[in-house]
Amino acid sequence: MGLHMPRGTLIVCLLIVGALALLPLLESRYLIDLATEIMVYALFALSLNVIIGFSGNVSFGHAAYFAIGGYVNAILLTTYGWPLWLSFPAAVVLSALAAAFVAYFCTRLTDIYFAMLTLAFSMLVWAIAFKWRSVTGGDDGFVGVAVPAFIDSRVPFFYFTLVIVTGSIALLWTICHSAFGQALVAVRENLTRAGFIGVNTRMMRGLAFVVAGTFAGVAGAIFAMYNRGVYTESAFWTESAQVLIMTLLGGMYSFFGPAIGAAVLYILERFANEYTEYWPTVAGLILLVIVLVLPEGLVGLARRIGARLVRRSGA
Amino acid sequence: MDMLLSNPTFVLIQVLNSISLGMNLFIIAAGLSLIFGVLRVINFAHGAFYMFGAYIMFTVAQEAELGFVTGVVAAAAGLAAIAVVVERGLFRWLYDKEHLMQLLLTFAIVLLMGDLAKIIWGTDQLSVSYPDALRGATDLGVTFYPTYRLMLAVIGPLIFLGLWLLIERTRWGRLTRAATQDMEMLSALGINVPMIYIVIFVIGSALAGVGGALAAPINSPTPGMDATIIVECFVIVIIGGLGSLWGSFVGALIYGFVFNFGSVIVPNWQDVFAFLLLMAVLLVRPWGLYGKPEREGH
Amino acid sequence: MTPTMRITAAAAALFAGGIGAAQAEIKIGVLYPTSGTGAVYGVPAMQGHDMAVDEVNAAGGVNGEMLVTFARDTKLKPAAAAAAAKELITKDNVDVLVGGLSSAVGLAISEVARQEGVVYIATIPKTIQMTTTKLHKHVFRTSSHTDFEGDAMAQIVAQLGKTKLCDIQLDYAYGHDLAAGIEKGLKRHAPDVEKVIDLRSKLGATDYNAQITQILGTGCDVVTSGLWGSHFVNFAQQAQPFGLFDQVVYISGGEIASHEIAGRMGKDYPDNVWSNTYELWYDHTVPAHEKFQADLAARAGTKETAMWPVLAYIGVKFIAAAAEKAGSTDADQLAAALEGMSIDTPVGPRTIDPETHQADTGQFWGPMVRKEGVDYRVMDPVTYIPAKID
Repeated sequence: MGLHMPRGTLIVCLLIVGALALLPLLESRYLIDLATEIMVYALFALSLNVIIGFSGNVSFGHAAYFAIGGYVNAILLTTYGWPLWLSFPAAVVLSALAAAFVAYFCTRLTDIYFAMLTLAFSMLVWAIAFKWRSVTGGDDGFVGVAVPAFIDSRVPFFYFTLVIVTGSIALLWTICHSAFGQALVAVRENLTRAGFIGVNTRMMRGLAFVVAGTFAGVAGAIFAMYNRGVYTESAFWTESAQVLIMTLLGGMYSFFGPAIGAAVLYILERFANEYTEYWPTVAGLILLVIVLVLPEGLVGLARRIGARLVRRSGA
Repeated sequence: MDMLLSNPTFVLIQVLNSISLGMNLFIIAAGLSLIFGVLRVINFAHGAFYMFGAYIMFTVAQEAELGFVTGVVAAAAGLAAIAVVVERGLFRWLYDKEHLMQLLLTFAIVLLMGDLAKIIWGTDQLSVSYPDALRGATDLGVTFYPTYRLMLAVIGPLIFLGLWLLIERTRWGRLTRAATQDMEMLSALGINVPMIYIVIFVIGSALAGVGGALAAPINSPTPGMDATIIVECFVIVIIGGLGSLWGSFVGALIYGFVFNFGSVIVPNWQDVFAFLLLMAVLLVRPWGLYGKPEREGH
Repeated sequence: MTPTMRITAAAAALFAGGIGAAQAEIKIGVLYPTSGTGAVYGVPAMQGHDMAVDEVNAAGGVNGEMLVTFARDTKLKPAAAAAAAKELITKDNVDVLVGGLSSAVGLAISEVARQEGVVYIATIPKTIQMTTTKLHKHVFRTSSHTDFEGDAMAQIVAQLGKTKLCDIQLDYAYGHDLAAGIEKGLKRHAPDVEKVIDLRSKLGATDYNAQITQILGTGCDVVTSGLWGSHFVNFAQQAQPFGLFDQVVYISGGEIASHEIAGRMGKDYPDNVWSNTYELWYDHTVPAHEKFQADLAARAGTKETAMWPVLAYIGVKFIAAAAEKAGSTDADQLAAALEGMSIDTPVGPRTIDPETHQADTGQFWGPMVRKEGVDYRVMDPVTYIPAKID
């Protein structure tokens, strides 16, 4: 793994970004909204995968950083009237700091205990958002976010999201494929051995957590403006579970897998909602398929099919 | 708050409240902990099992009017049956997989059982009557206290004793404890380990069913009741120590006391309190008060 | 728009599945929770919604146009509700939004309606913000709100001549708002009542023993509360053995006089409860109610019917009346038609205030009593307390 993206992947990425850039020409408000929402969730899921796919821990509380990014950006823009170029970075920095704080404690633990502690911290964030009504609006939500005029309509906001999300994903890719990323994979593969060869495993896992929290904050900050509102549920554990399912559906052992998982799950959910009130059943069945048949997600499946095709054509 | 300082009867009542709440939760949490102890699976669906217990109680005792005890037995039997299906049909494929996959599987069961309950029992909030013998209050000399609550406070320790005897004093219990230490060794000795797994899963799940059935008269069967209880159970078993019977017992009592006295002393913050307690335990003693520290990389 | 752009736009709409609908219809986007915890309310609400749509269409529609429903599950989550509301507008091209349940979901849908310039009629949410600080020209509310509800409760406290009051609410938006509404009402109607203690339980709480025993310890003679649904069932079941309902009169908002609760609790429903409801299946004070209830019963397949359908039903009837008056489905014209509009409903006439966009939705209040030959509690006497604060 080096810092150069394989040519094929690079071309596909450029094509996707290009296609997205041309999307508004179709003049479908629906598609623009859908694309904006999917981009946000894709970034959210990719960020979680830095913890799961690269450092091998499972966070059950990733929604906390998404929510912090959203609340901070919304409150600074609206209550304090900050300009976007200050409020947005501040939101991201605070998400990162919160993640660093939690990481300091959580990285003492592994496995199930790590997961439980991340869950507990996220529920604390939820409780604060819920109780601190004068600032966050409590469970009424923080409604009516003051979105800056230059992105206060559908298409400009879409381009804003496209630029930020593309930039963030590029940055994430670079981080994950740097020496740091390779060290993380070593940590995931074998915690004890990585320790022996001189990797400070706790520090590495902590940094991965911070990177993940930072980009979750970016996604949350965008989403707050997109919805013109932030709600306590965005920090609730069910949101953490949803993004976890997105990540695993796409495939945690591939960089782009979670983004694909986010897109597929989100579209499926929206689609199912038109025809059935039994979305939980649909989601439950998807999970069963992941667990029993596709532990490496959709990307794993694609690779398996690809490998089989290659073998067949070779023979 | 003032009442705590000035009124000893009030304190006594809060103590009883704490114990009866803790004991009802213990019955459910013990099942969760027992299953983890042997199968090494944290069963997210344990809350859904509890919910089914409450709903079965409603059908048997309230609708069919077959009586309270029949309701409890039916809930235990119903959940035992569900447990066999779930263990044989799903769990056994995943024992050698990562914890994450096991957790996701149990989460899938949560989603499916929630919709199943909606199909069977609809979306109303239901209501289950107290059994006639346990309606009303009992005179404790200094105060009256709800009879049903007293019954819970007695049944909890009885179940604890039963489980303790089963695990500590029978041959089968010794095998089970051995299974928590070294399955391969047991298999090599010709012990039917899968059988141990099934039986433990059935007992643990039946406890969730019994807990739900017993809770039904004070906890209306309703969609979403599984989400509340599972969080409470997690807090309890982590505080007490995953896999430890004593841990669930003490953890449930601690939770009962924190919740009740918290409601009186720092109203509105009792649930935050519970989470802080959970964090403190995880940080200082992640394996819980009665658990054993595990070796790295399990 | 150039012709080529028009074609691409049409293609896009086709791709999105949003085209092909005939012009002669009025599209209603309806948003209730039909899965999870909120399904308790969303599922019966949808029944009332569908019934109203069928009635309007059977009578020839509105100005010859049929009503068509596009339904989405809000899952009781505000962000999901907002996404669904946007989708209804941009993909299904609905002319109007209706529904909502919790405060947050109601406000989230209202925010989408503001952005997109589509009329939204809130049929269940009670948060006072919707028609005050967060009011905009396209949002209307046909349910009651917490100031009306709290005022009615204070009137009952005064009427019963109670003096020491305990308040217990759920610790979330509706509970806080109702507590504030009661507080304001007490100042108007019963300024001498002493508020002894404010108790809060968390939303979804199942154990109320700590609160129950505190109320008993204070010696209150009246309890005001907004514990709804299963919260009330649990509270009542736990409080009865303590004898709480022998000691206090329990005055409750949250519609626990509705048949959903009274019917389910049967003989377990406690004594000394006064509560409210939008509709009672057995009360035909308003003549039109008899037919409404019979139709609903036929639809539900039970003699007794739930309360929530009527709220969704009224929402649809307002849409139909507004579309007829406006002669158009243009959002601004619909909004103009709704301002000051009056319609007759199965539970009495309703008028939407042109300023606040709030309907004058009062509620039926009364004590819940045992009745010969009926195995559940009924409200008797039934008193309509109008939505009026003076």
